[in-house]
Amino acid sequence: MLQDRNVLEYWRKFTAYCLVILLFSILGGRYYWLMIASHQKYAEKATSNHIREVPIEAPRGVIFDRNGKILVDNKPSYSVSIVPLEIRRRPETLTLLAKILNTTVDELKKTIKRYQRGLFVPVKIRGKVPIDIISKLQEHNLELIGVTYTIEPTRFYPSPVQLTHVLGYVREIDTEDLERLDRETYQPGDLIGWKGVEKYYESYLRGTRGYRYEVVNAYGQEIGESDWRKPIRPVAGENLHLTIDENIQNIVETELGDSSGVVVILDHTNGEIVAMASVPGYSLEMMSSLLTPDEWRKLLMNPRKPLYDRALQGLYPPGSTFKLVAAAYALENKTIDPKKTVLCKGSYRLGTRSFGCWKEGGHGRVDLEMAIEQSCNVYFYHLIQDIGLNPWAEMAKKFGFGQLTGIDLPDEKIGSVPDSKLMDRKFGVGKWTLGNLLNFVVGQGEVLVTPLQLAQYAGLIAERGKSTEPHLLKYVTDAEGRVVFSYKNERHTDLVLSDTTWAQLQNGMYQVMQSAHGSGRAARQKNWPLYGKTGTAQNPHGENHAWFIGFSLDPDLPYAWAILLENGGTGGGKAAPLMGAMLRKISKLKAPQILKQSVVK
Amino acid sequence: MANSLQRQLRDFDWILLLLAILLSMAGLLSIYSTGLLQEGLAGHNYFIRQLIWFIIGIALTIGVAMIPKKVVFNLAYVVYGIGIIALLAPFLVNDSTGTHRWVRLGGFNFQPSEYMKVIVVVALAKYFSDHHRQLQQFKQLFPPFIMVMIPTGIVILQPDLGTALVYIATLIPILFWAGIRPLYFYLLLAPIVSMMAAFNIYTFFAWMAILGLVLYLGRTKLWFAGFNFILNVFLGGLTNVLWILLKPYQQQRISSLFNLDVDPLGAGYQLIQSMTAFGSGGLLGKGLGQGTQTHLKFLPEQHTDFIMTVIGEEFGFITVAAVLLFFMLFIFRLISISFAARTRYTSLVLFGTAAVFLFHMFVNLAMIVGLMPVTGIPLPFMSYGGSFMLACFLLLGIAQNSLSGNRV
Repeated sequence: MLQDRNVLEYWRKFTAYCLVILLFSILGGRYYWLMIASHQKYAEKATSNHIREVPIEAPRGVIFDRNGKILVDNKPSYSVSIVPLEIRRRPETLTLLAKILNTTVDELKKTIKRYQRGLFVPVKIRGKVPIDIISKLQEHNLELIGVTYTIEPTRFYPSPVQLTHVLGYVREIDTEDLERLDRETYQPGDLIGWKGVEKYYESYLRGTRGYRYEVVNAYGQEIGESDWRKPIRPVAGENLHLTIDENIQNIVETELGDSSGVVVILDHTNGEIVAMASVPGYSLEMMSSLLTPDEWRKLLMNPRKPLYDRALQGLYPPGSTFKLVAAAYALENKTIDPKKTVLCKGSYRLGTRSFGCWKEGGHGRVDLEMAIEQSCNVYFYHLIQDIGLNPWAEMAKKFGFGQLTGIDLPDEKIGSVPDSKLMDRKFGVGKWTLGNLLNFVVGQGEVLVTPLQLAQYAGLIAERGKSTEPHLLKYVTDAEGRVVFSYKNERHTDLVLSDTTWAQLQNGMYQVMQSAHGSGRAARQKNWPLYGKTGTAQNPHGENHAWFIGFSLDPDLPYAWAILLENGGTGGGKAAPLMGAMLRKISKLKAPQILKQSVVK
Repeated sequence: MANSLQRQLRDFDWILLLLAILLSMAGLLSIYSTGLLQEGLAGHNYFIRQLIWFIIGIALTIGVAMIPKKVVFNLAYVVYGIGIIALLAPFLVNDSTGTHRWVRLGGFNFQPSEYMKVIVVVALAKYFSDHHRQLQQFKQLFPPFIMVMIPTGIVILQPDLGTALVYIATLIPILFWAGIRPLYFYLLLAPIVSMMAAFNIYTFFAWMAILGLVLYLGRTKLWFAGFNFILNVFLGGLTNVLWILLKPYQQQRISSLFNLDVDPLGAGYQLIQSMTAFGSGGLLGKGLGQGTQTHLKFLPEQHTDFIMTVIGEEFGFITVAAVLLFFMLFIFRLISISFAARTRYTSLVLFGTAAVFLFHMFVNLAMIVGLMPVTGIPLPFMSYGGSFMLACFLLLGIAQNSLSGNRV
């Protein structure tokens, strides 16, 4: 009843009080832990919650040729990014975005997953987006919350020359690179130099990324710039000044046309490469935009292998151009009397095998100078037997074969110079014969060189054993034009031979160009004395490779070169005339000083 | 007439009302802050409405306190019946959202389940005043049990699990306060513990061992002990069935309690954001209108269930501690006058009031810092919402009403 008296045991009140105190202690403790003990952690979290760091990409350094002409530059292009949080909130955004970008939702999801760095950090999903797509995105602005587009610098190529393999290209960084590289500098979605000088001089070319800080609300929408976190300006990459001469490069590329081959022209006084072309190449413009898997497959499967840089990765038998190695040894060590003649009847018999000379009728009696001039094989078959394999291989290595030239490009190949150790390993002790040797001396068999090595070799003869390693970089400047690095042209002596030896070698090469029967006469220039050596390398896979190497001692045109035409035929018949055409055009750019050449007899 | 009103208000406890007003003002300040960044008066819509309800609420408390206590006592079961009908009313209207919580009355939306909390307190208090002597028998506990289970069942179907728990949470303390034998009290609580323990097989076996021991030591009749034990095992098994029957969002709310980062944008999102708000507030807070979590809308429902996060982020631990202290004083005051009350009815109403408020406070303040599942229980006097605000002041009014004539 309403008036019933309240008689309660005291312990019930006590229990109730205890329970209340217990519950409020739990709350008090939890709030203390959260707000005082963990304050630091949550304060940071709250900040990162609403300040979004937006990267500002730094432009890569510009690449110039030796005369200051721009080879590679930057131009602004749009890229589209998306905040992953928004996609999780509104998956329908992706459907619309995929439609506008002309891709699939799955593809976008894959990209986001691959590059995601947190829910609030925008993920770049597409670079080099054309302006009409950007305006479409702008139209759907309100439905595409969390989708942002930024202007970022991308590569473009204003120069008329290709320079495919020298310049190389940049591509998006992949997860493998990221494991290897510094996580502070490189982030998913970044561009990185992938081939050529873009790769080799990545550390100069790459700028330092900047950041701006925007305030966002819980929907990831930007409210404004942060007023307490100042933006960090990006620092542009440093500029490369190459040794390449755009004019000469242009001549070389034009003359090579659509053949498969290589031309390397370098300044033998300082190792500077003025022109280097490996054809066929590919379009750097295409590589730096989005390549479809189909286009990529086409490049990969192309039987003419445009992706590979023949100049320093192509390994070829050098053919007769290699005879100078044996000649140098014989002259220096007086293995033979250079005046002594050998009878060439068009072929040479060793045991049951016959080794031919290129001239079927034979050269008759030839001495060393004639043997070089007319490229007589039989003479060298005799010579190598007097020299022996290992002394000959030693000499070849001193000329730079079988080792890196040290060029400032990635992935150079070393080739091979066979000696008895290599032959024992390959065929077994005693399983190889003198016959192999006869092949080597004329640059066949296991002898493999890169075109760059042959150009260096020509330069070494021009400079009488002194050289600077071939290189592409002259100096590096920063954004204000100050020189921050210069390539040190350090000349070193690679090969000590007597002056008479050098003179005789040079004279032999001079005769190749000048004499009526000289195999390189097709490249002869009026008023410009040249030195050369042709080569025709037999190729088990098809037509012979045509070589022509040489140099000029003119102080204004101190060039050494190597030209290779894959499956081009004979050196004298194909390579020399083409090189001659190039040299003629080059001499029009810069007239040679006509020197009275006193050829040492 | 004036005399009788005066007599009715003679025992009015002004301390309780003062504490309620202080807490309401803290709530109003927070709601004011959430509207600060919005343009013009529109941002303060919530604040103005809450202010009006607050003023109506004070009037309601005093008004209800002036009703003769006898009327309230006698009409308790009738009002209970009306309350049940009101609870069922939303089901008659076809609601597109699939929930049945709201009733439209004269241009106002109100939630019958909020007022039912008050009705249950009064009805239980009346029952236990009327059946004081018989309480030593276990079967006397069935009518109040049914009295609670009916609204609980309806509200679960609405579906509003949080509010449904309030009714059960009212019954248990009232039973305790009504002087039920400790063993019965224990056995009544046992099924709840059994169901919770059933989430883990080891805790379940441990709990069953304890239960068996208590039944043995309590010297109950064998059939009673056996029935009780089997019931608990059965309920433990039922838990797993019920878990499957829970709506996915309810399941997620419970599991997100244990691992917040599993689904940072789903059920765990609110918790991460609210904990970040508290944690970043520190000792003194960021200042009025400076809370980034609050104003950048990282916090959902910040003016309703999560109102305390605004205080935490903007005014710091000191203010949070002060609010906790006020809440505790409010509960202490209710318990202390309840214990000292002259009549059993007064004592039970006051204690039931304390139980309802304590349940809301604890569950709300615990869930927003990740100590409990997010159940949608608002914070008394502080959370935005007309129905709830008025229900709180109504309950306070009923408590004041029961006090009249307390001192002879």
